[in-house]
Amino acid sequence: MIQEILLPVLGAFIGSIGFALLVHAPMRSLLPSGIIAALTYLVYSLIAFAGVSEALAVFAGALFGSLAGQWVARRMKMIGTVFLMSAIVPVVPGLGLYRMMTLLGQGATAAGADQGIQAMITIAMIALGLGFGSFTDRRFHPGKKK
Amino acid sequence: MSESIHPAPEQGVMEALQLAGRIIIENGGETYRAEETICRMGQGIGLTEVESFAVPSGLFISYRGHDGLLESGVKRVHRQGTNLTKIDQVNAVSRKVTAGQMSIQQAWEELRRIDASRGPVASGWMILAAFLCAGGFALLFGGGEWEILFAGLVAAVVQLVGLVNQKMHMQWLVTAIFGGFLTSLLPHFIIRLFPGVSQEILIAGAVMPLVPGLAMTNAVQDTMRGDMVSGLSHGTQALLTACLVAGGALLSNALVRLLEGGLLG
Repeated sequence: MIQEILLPVLGAFIGSIGFALLVHAPMRSLLPSGIIAALTYLVYSLIAFAGVSEALAVFAGALFGSLAGQWVARRMKMIGTVFLMSAIVPVVPGLGLYRMMTLLGQGATAAGADQGIQAMITIAMIALGLGFGSFTDRRFHPGKKK
Repeated sequence: MSESIHPAPEQGVMEALQLAGRIIIENGGETYRAEETICRMGQGIGLTEVESFAVPSGLFISYRGHDGLLESGVKRVHRQGTNLTKIDQVNAVSRKVTAGQMSIQQAWEELRRIDASRGPVASGWMILAAFLCAGGFALLFGGGEWEILFAGLVAAVVQLVGLVNQKMHMQWLVTAIFGGFLTSLLPHFIIRLFPGVSQEILIAGAVMPLVPGLAMTNAVQDTMRGDMVSGLSHGTQALLTACLVAGGALLSNALVRLLEGGLLG
């Protein structure tokens, strides 16, 4: 359990802070960004660990990240982008895309396409979760500037 | 109250509004944010019929001033890079102007200071940031201490090369393709020296700093606001970046196979 969930959550925390630094995020946003990213990955991991479909787990993670990011942005009177971006980065299918590239490079087109489709589904679920979260947030906070 | 804070509202108004929008778009902000900021700042100083239309490459602003005349302006924008701190600072200025706590002249000066400023940390620290980012994600992908260390080192080298590219005013697409190439090439040499290290985790971790996370977020945010032009533009940028990174990695794989089949084989 620790190996499978908590260490990757720690990785999401550290990695997202690094990512936020790379886009020159404001210093006071770094810690909250890392925490939101870690919690997003925790939501994703717990649902995936429970055996529910990977796509639903990604959607739930992205939705949580979107809502949490916008809530924190409002509380801190900051732009939401930095929190939303940090939230979704841990669920971006980096490993899947790498496998797709490697397989396609080796000429294993069918296996590469399979990996590619899975990665695309994950990306679509991220967009859906982020979009649904944004829509929900605007529904309850119309006209609020983030 | 507004008269004492804004003694000469027309003076420099268009420039201030254009500068606010330009800083947001130039530094990777969403176009809807630029439009909202311009409209709120304009309304905050008592202008009427304030309209703004932003695309990732330009701004159109119009408003009716206190003298009743309709003014309009167009500003071409060129993307400079990504700096969320500047966008956040413009956001803070906009809030103050809207709340009547800052005059448009003060805002103009503050915006110019923001425009000329650099990031919150020096460029050199970006190398450490890349190390943190790649190392963290290598841990997320199940890597051990060696994968974390080497993923961090590879990403740090790629970031260093990216900074050199920036200094040489290379296009971002060159940085993306070269980044993908190096991220895939260096691990091939590392696993020859350290055979126990997982190449897959190493590369997957090291490639994360190159992921177009901001463009993806902006694409969704813009599309959700009904701004299809900007949504498509940011989506295309994200897709193109991912393809270039992948293309660079494929090139490096082909080079390694060539070397293994010939020179190293």
